[in-house]
Amino acid sequence: MDPKLTEVSQLFERFKAAITRKDYDSCTELLSHLKVLLTSFRSLPPLFENTPNSIHELTLARDIYEHAVLLSVKIEDQDAFERDFFQLKPYYTDAGSRLPPSPNEYMILGLNLLRLLVQNRIAEFHTELELLSSTALENPCIKHAVELEQSFMEGAYNRVLSAKQNVPNETYGYFMDLLAKTVRDEIAGCSEKAYDYLSLKDARQMLLYTSDKELLQYIEEEHPEWETKNGSVFFQKAKESVPCKEIPSLQLINQTLSYARELERIV
Amino acid sequence: MAATMVSSAGGLLAMLNESHPSLKLHALSNLNSFVDQFWPEISTSVPIIPLVRESDFLSDGEMELNDGNPCNRESLYEDEEFDQHQRQLAALLVSKVFYYLGELNDSLSYALGAGSLFDVSDDSDYVHTLLAKAIDEYASIKSKAAESNDEAANVDPRLEAIVERMLDKCITDGKYQQAMGIAIECRRLDKLEEAITRSDNIHGTLSYCINVSHSFVNRREYRREVLRLLVKVYQKLPSPDYLSICQCLMFLDEPEGVVSILEKLLRSENKDDALLAFQVAFDLVENEHQAFLLNVRDHLPVPKSLPSESTESAPAQNESTAAAEDVQMTDGTPASNANVRETDPKEVSYAERLNKIRGILSGETSIQLTLQFLYSHNKSDLLILKTIKQSVEMRNSVCHSATIYANAIMHAGTTVDTFLRENLDWLSRATNWAKFSATAGLGVIHRGHLQQGRSLMAPYLPQGGSAGGGSPYSEGGALYALGLIHANHGEGIKQFLRDSLRSTTVEVLNFQVIQHGACLGLGLAALGTADEDIYDDIKNVLYTDNAVAGEAAGISMGLLMVGTASEKAGEMLAYAHETQHEKIIRGLALGIALTVYGREEEADTLIEQMTRDQDPILRYGGMYALALAYSGTANNKAIRQLLHFAVSDVSDDVRRTAVLALGFVLYSEPEQTPRIVSLLSESYNPHVRYGAALAVGISCAGTGLSEAISLLEPLTSDVVDFVRQGALIAMAMVMVQINEANDSRVGTFRRQLEKIILDKHEDTMSKMGAILASGILDAGGRNMTIKLLSKTKHDKITAVVGLAVFSQFWYWYPLIYFISLSFSPTALIGLNYDLKVPKFEFLSHAKPSLFEYPKPTTVPTATSAVKLPTAVLSTSAKAKARAKKEAEQKEKVNNEKTEAAGKGKSSSEKEGDSMQVDTPQEKKAEPEPSFELLTNPARVVPAQEKFIRFLEDSRYVPVKSAPSGFVLLRDLRPNEPEVLSLTDAPSSTQSPAGGSTTGQQGSASAMAVDEEPQPPAPFEYTS
Repeated sequence: MDPKLTEVSQLFERFKAAITRKDYDSCTELLSHLKVLLTSFRSLPPLFENTPNSIHELTLARDIYEHAVLLSVKIEDQDAFERDFFQLKPYYTDAGSRLPPSPNEYMILGLNLLRLLVQNRIAEFHTELELLSSTALENPCIKHAVELEQSFMEGAYNRVLSAKQNVPNETYGYFMDLLAKTVRDEIAGCSEKAYDYLSLKDARQMLLYTSDKELLQYIEEEHPEWETKNGSVFFQKAKESVPCKEIPSLQLINQTLSYARELERIV
Repeated sequence: MAATMVSSAGGLLAMLNESHPSLKLHALSNLNSFVDQFWPEISTSVPIIPLVRESDFLSDGEMELNDGNPCNRESLYEDEEFDQHQRQLAALLVSKVFYYLGELNDSLSYALGAGSLFDVSDDSDYVHTLLAKAIDEYASIKSKAAESNDEAANVDPRLEAIVERMLDKCITDGKYQQAMGIAIECRRLDKLEEAITRSDNIHGTLSYCINVSHSFVNRREYRREVLRLLVKVYQKLPSPDYLSICQCLMFLDEPEGVVSILEKLLRSENKDDALLAFQVAFDLVENEHQAFLLNVRDHLPVPKSLPSESTESAPAQNESTAAAEDVQMTDGTPASNANVRETDPKEVSYAERLNKIRGILSGETSIQLTLQFLYSHNKSDLLILKTIKQSVEMRNSVCHSATIYANAIMHAGTTVDTFLRENLDWLSRATNWAKFSATAGLGVIHRGHLQQGRSLMAPYLPQGGSAGGGSPYSEGGALYALGLIHANHGEGIKQFLRDSLRSTTVEVLNFQVIQHGACLGLGLAALGTADEDIYDDIKNVLYTDNAVAGEAAGISMGLLMVGTASEKAGEMLAYAHETQHEKIIRGLALGIALTVYGREEEADTLIEQMTRDQDPILRYGGMYALALAYSGTANNKAIRQLLHFAVSDVSDDVRRTAVLALGFVLYSEPEQTPRIVSLLSESYNPHVRYGAALAVGISCAGTGLSEAISLLEPLTSDVVDFVRQGALIAMAMVMVQINEANDSRVGTFRRQLEKIILDKHEDTMSKMGAILASGILDAGGRNMTIKLLSKTKHDKITAVVGLAVFSQFWYWYPLIYFISLSFSPTALIGLNYDLKVPKFEFLSHAKPSLFEYPKPTTVPTATSAVKLPTAVLSTSAKAKARAKKEAEQKEKVNNEKTEAAGKGKSSSEKEGDSMQVDTPQEKKAEPEPSFELLTNPARVVPAQEKFIRFLEDSRYVPVKSAPSGFVLLRDLRPNEPEVLSLTDAPSSTQSPAGGSTTGQQGSASAMAVDEEPQPPAPFEYTS
């Protein structure tokens, strides 16, 4: 066996051991080292050269990246998740035909969908969805994400929040927590537009909080421009800040005059 | 197994955000190789690409684009571990992305940041595009720096490096022309020199370079620098091309250089070198730069001893005596008076050669030869004139004088005044100014008759002291005529004209008419000499503030100072503001314009001053100034300015002139003009349409350009009479020397002219245009064309000035004669060592019918209601005796024809045939040969030039293979006796086939011409 491959495999074993130990710091370090080592394999994307060990190398690299994605969820690092997921993706899409399917594939794809939902990147969410096959859509992990999105769009926010109870995989928990906040932001944005003011009680119900304290804390952190007095929340300030657009009359007049002048010159 | 392909660059882009530097590097280098495929994906992520420092950018354009995520990039590039290589790689990647996005400026600035990673030898679209962009950028920076005279132009050294790398690559690859082009464009004369000296065919590259510098280098100063460099390179060569060097030196106005070269050649033992020197001299003369030529001549040493009958070998003796006579004739030097026995044969031949070259440089040799050629090959069709004369109403003085103009133009330089002699009665109807122009017309006809010009005009000239002999109008006209005869070669006549001008005082009746003529004549004779004394004389005339004389004085001052850009212009401008007379202002305006001829940017202040003036006449002069300062440069700025005035000025005169001026600016690229003025030619304003017509006429003169004809065609039937006039004249200028076989529209046009002239109800204006057009169409006995550029692409200053003043005929008809200055003979005249014309044949590799003379016109049938079949006559008579005889013949034919009228076409054609001397009909029957043998000297029209070949086994070999003009011939068999075909003695009898006109000419000259350029007897036509 290729010595380099052996080295990677050994390092990977140590990495997996570290994960089970929950020693995340050394995990990150090992992972970075692994990635650097992977760059020297010419069979990996984007080159995809045919080497004798290519299948083996590809499978190993895919494993490494899958673990990297899961690790990023565990250490709650969204950026790392995105990075690792994108690097993993070619193994599913481009090399998928050459490799045995990975058991974690749908789980990870579902996680990614969830992440997009959390980050409120709906357009990208649908792009990803379009790329999936119909069998993939049947998978519970994917289905879960799709249903969440539908509820989210309908405005059935309570269903979104309650979906936290029946996640298909324990790794989903992190994103489900984040999703709650996304939902609240959405609601807050709508209320701002819809109402001039709301009583604290209504606001609490609207934002799905259980106590006024939580609500006030949320307002303080996320929407300092809201005003709370006399037991009500006022959204007036936020509205005023939107400047009213002026008609560029002077510019239009100038333009028209110059057209007229040009017309006169036409010979 | 099919290779797996990546479908997205997402993974690599994600890798860029990894913290480990080697991962970033890996991602970058991979992205770099996949950018061609994935640039849309990458472009959205440009902000995250780690980049070079901002100070490295040329422009700040990209900042806007990246505003979305600036902090990301900042943080990454400031990473110190991001080494140089990685930065460059990133820059290259971003550059490629911007290239695909079409943002070339940004792309270039990043490519510069990529340093050596940007590989100029790469053969991809990206590299090609960016290189072009880089060179453009560099060139524009350099030229901007040069224009602002800012030596320390802060050119990005990296940009410079790229351009230099490119230049070096071109040179090593052997693409010298590209290298030279880039070097010239970028003002890198050092590189230019390198490219030239390293090229494998130095002569070829040099001549290419000269062409390029004339057609593409816009700034005069810079062009001079390039040419200076070229001269330097030329001189370093082991076998210099003296012809080209001298052309360059002429442009640089360095007569000393030319003189030293000529001297060297003349001193040489080899006869061929002397021939070369003669050829150089002829080529210089062709450019008509009088002041320069005079300078060269004055710098040449005066021959110390004159050749005499030496006791050398017999042929040498003959030659030298022949030459001596020749010199005496041309130069007036007392050459054969020497009884001194010369001992040193070298000195003898040197002195003799010096004399010859002085003769050539003074222009006299070429003028004389041209005169002989035009005389002997005159093919003008008197019948056309006759038709015009008959159809024009007697009392209509405009058409009457137009006919006189047409006659003069038709016979310009041929010395054939048969028509005038035959119609003395008719001519005598010309009174006052018509008389002035009739007399001046003689000057056009005898143009170049330097020796006898004065005696020719003697009967009309003012007689010293005894005023009242002749009419002041004919006296003034005669002075003007003298100017026309001696145009640009006025050495001999200047003094006489000056005296006449001075002696014409206020007491003389109609003194202003004589002054008018004298001023014009003096201006013409002393064209471009900037002679201070003459200037003062003319200024005195101007200050008498007489409208008629002042106008001519203004123009004359301009003629005198052509192209000098002297401060006299300020003086003239001041007077133009002072005077009340519009005529004087107009004359001065044109004069001022003439002074800045060819000065390009130097003239900008003056142009600015004139075009901003309140007075429309001065603005009108400003248009001419623009036209002349930028004549033939096709300078974009000038064109833009002219177009602006053409549509925005309030005065119709200014607008008309602005459009017309376009013709002058664009004459070096005639194909452009129809396109540029096509919109203007459809203007609602007739003045603009008129201007457009003349602009096309001027710039496309003599080209027969199809687009030009298509543009002019509708204008010839315009609703406004003066537009028709302009269009007809312009059309004639375009079609001069084009025959029907070349473009069928020529025939249509000729018939249209005839119709207009015969039509009783036609407006006088367009009728006059038609008459003039028929004159121009057959200019100079059908042997002249209008040429504004010499063969070496130099401006012909006389021609341009002539056309500029000619275009003034709108205001003053006598100025029509200035068009004769722009005529140049279309001939190949081969000369031997003695500057004689030996009999010598060469080949025109085209069907003879393509370039033959137009068929003589048919006799118009008296009963014109029915188109009768007409007989073809040979009516190209040349001598009066011949013409007389022909008149009888014609009568006969007329009789015959009335008989034959009923019989139908075939019979009458037969009749015509029997009359023919040279039977073209018979020739037509057999298939036309694909080539034609021409005999020296021969008419070679411009379009024909590319078909001219010299025969290989010929006795004479040309020094330079030019298809037209004067060509010196090397005699390979010097011991055989030479047969000369153009001599001063009655030539045609000596050489059996003297010229292409066979029997006819022979008989004609045998009958009538005893001594060819003898002054014809004066005739009187006093009313």
